Amino acid sequence: MKIRGVFIEDTFAEAFTMRVARIVITARSNRWVRAAALKLTGFATSVIGCKVEAGIERALSARETPDGRPGTSILLMTMGKDDLAKRLVERIGQTVLTCPTTACFDGLPDATDRVGVGSALRFFGDGFQMSKVIAGVRYWRIPVMEGEFLVQEKFGTLKGVGGGNFLILARSPDAALGAAEAAADAMAAQPGTILPFPGGVVRSGSKVGSRRIKSMIASTNDAYCPTLRAVTKSALPDSVNSVLEIVVNGVDAPSIASSMRAGIHAACHDGVVAISAGNYGGKLGPHHFHLRQIMAGA
Amino acid sequence: MSGGLVARLRTPLRQRADLSEVLAGSWTALSAAELARRPVHLERDGATPLGEIFELNGEPEGRMRFVGDLELIDRLAAGLNEGEVTVEGSLGSEAGLALAGGTLDIQGDAGPRAGAAPLGFKRGMTGGELIVRGAAGAEAGAGMRRGLVVVGGRAGDRAGLGMIAGNVVVFGSAGADAGLWSKRGSVVALGAITPPPTYSYACTYQPVHLRLLLTRLGGRYGLPVRPRHLNGFYRRYSGDMAELGKGEILAWTAK
Repeated sequence: MKIRGVFIEDTFAEAFTMRVARIVITARSNRWVRAAALKLTGFATSVIGCKVEAGIERALSARETPDGRPGTSILLMTMGKDDLAKRLVERIGQTVLTCPTTACFDGLPDATDRVGVGSALRFFGDGFQMSKVIAGVRYWRIPVMEGEFLVQEKFGTLKGVGGGNFLILARSPDAALGAAEAAADAMAAQPGTILPFPGGVVRSGSKVGSRRIKSMIASTNDAYCPTLRAVTKSALPDSVNSVLEIVVNGVDAPSIASSMRAGIHAACHDGVVAISAGNYGGKLGPHHFHLRQIMAGA
Repeated sequence: MSGGLVARLRTPLRQRADLSEVLAGSWTALSAAELARRPVHLERDGATPLGEIFELNGEPEGRMRFVGDLELIDRLAAGLNEGEVTVEGSLGSEAGLALAGGTLDIQGDAGPRAGAAPLGFKRGMTGGELIVRGAAGAEAGAGMRRGLVVVGGRAGDRAGLGMIAGNVVVFGSAGADAGLWSKRGSVVALGAITPPPTYSYACTYQPVHLRLLLTRLGGRYGLPVRPRHLNGFYRRYSGDMAELGKGEILAWTAK
């Protein structure tokens, strides 16, 4: 299969089931929405090193938020439900509670699995906190020096999907970067998904384990490193001199597939030789996104 | 699905009627005929089936609407814990007494002690929403533990008397001693209010939770929530300092 002359390899992206929460942050202005969102989603590229993967899903207009102020929705993902509760409390407590004018709401109101967030953060109020039940939902009002921080007591969680991906194999670093930027831009608008890496793009794709250090769970994906073509079993065609990866997480597999389709389509630029994907032979992750099947549905 | 049960007063009442047993306990799954057998206690004539006083049409299916001159009716929806009850007109005293769930929407006025605790009891409402679109008599929401009382017009004296928690929202002016002896809970005053002397001024600020609450009141009940209510400032008073002092009066201010 080729799209605009770019070869689509007959392979698949292997992804994992993760726990996901959707966090809605509102604030008095977009400045403070963004400030809180960037901190909350900072250092959250991979569970391998960050314990959590997070990203901004989309901006929300005042009409779309519970309190009628500008906001944003964020997806935060971990490997398990218990871990998700801990990370939510840590991150919301350190980055949203602390941020001027913000409030924080659950973005998965229909999810039956729920974890306590406001119910834990309320203790910061040192006994001065107040709860309010509005339309059957409990919120906590935590007094802070600025006024009050409002946070919902419980947040819904779903089983989502993490690790959807594709690789852009290009003739030059410029071509790879241009294609990756186009892909990330196209995928940013896809509902129910996030791109947890910087700018949505990963330059350091990894393989499972290490050739030398047994305790390492991941190390550089040498098969896709152009500089190692001569010294390792390379997976790269001769004309490829740079590879970038797009990783996408989402609330469900169809969202990931839709996002990958948009991204791959956008990435098929001049200078791109092929689109591939990362997998582990299909033995580790239950979600397999076959590139050609996905693109056949475009 | 029908539009719910309509209870229309057959003839104007000439004596007070206590409807506290009509909607007590489970009622939404009952038929109109079963509800018609529930007793109404007339001040002079004693117990009478509801169906003799009201003409009932439709089936409840979670909703009931009372129509007629209902000012002599007391304790309608006392202990209500499910369903939506609408009153086209005004009610007598103790409407929604000790409400536990569901919604009582009174499109006219309510007499004294709407949504209050039964006399002699400290704990009143434990849930639900009581909407009085007109004025409310004294001691609306007295002793409430949880839930919401909204007064669209003027609230009589001592609204939220002895509140344990919950919310009393007054769109009009609030009478004297709102929130007196409250332990926790909030009295939200969108009109004029003079907090009791046992409340202490804390600050003027913008409580975000009121945006949620008021937006819901505007959307769900069509109450006249204005942008100034959503975007405005509120003077916060803590009290009652003669009690726990964990309650509050949030008084909208044009400031």
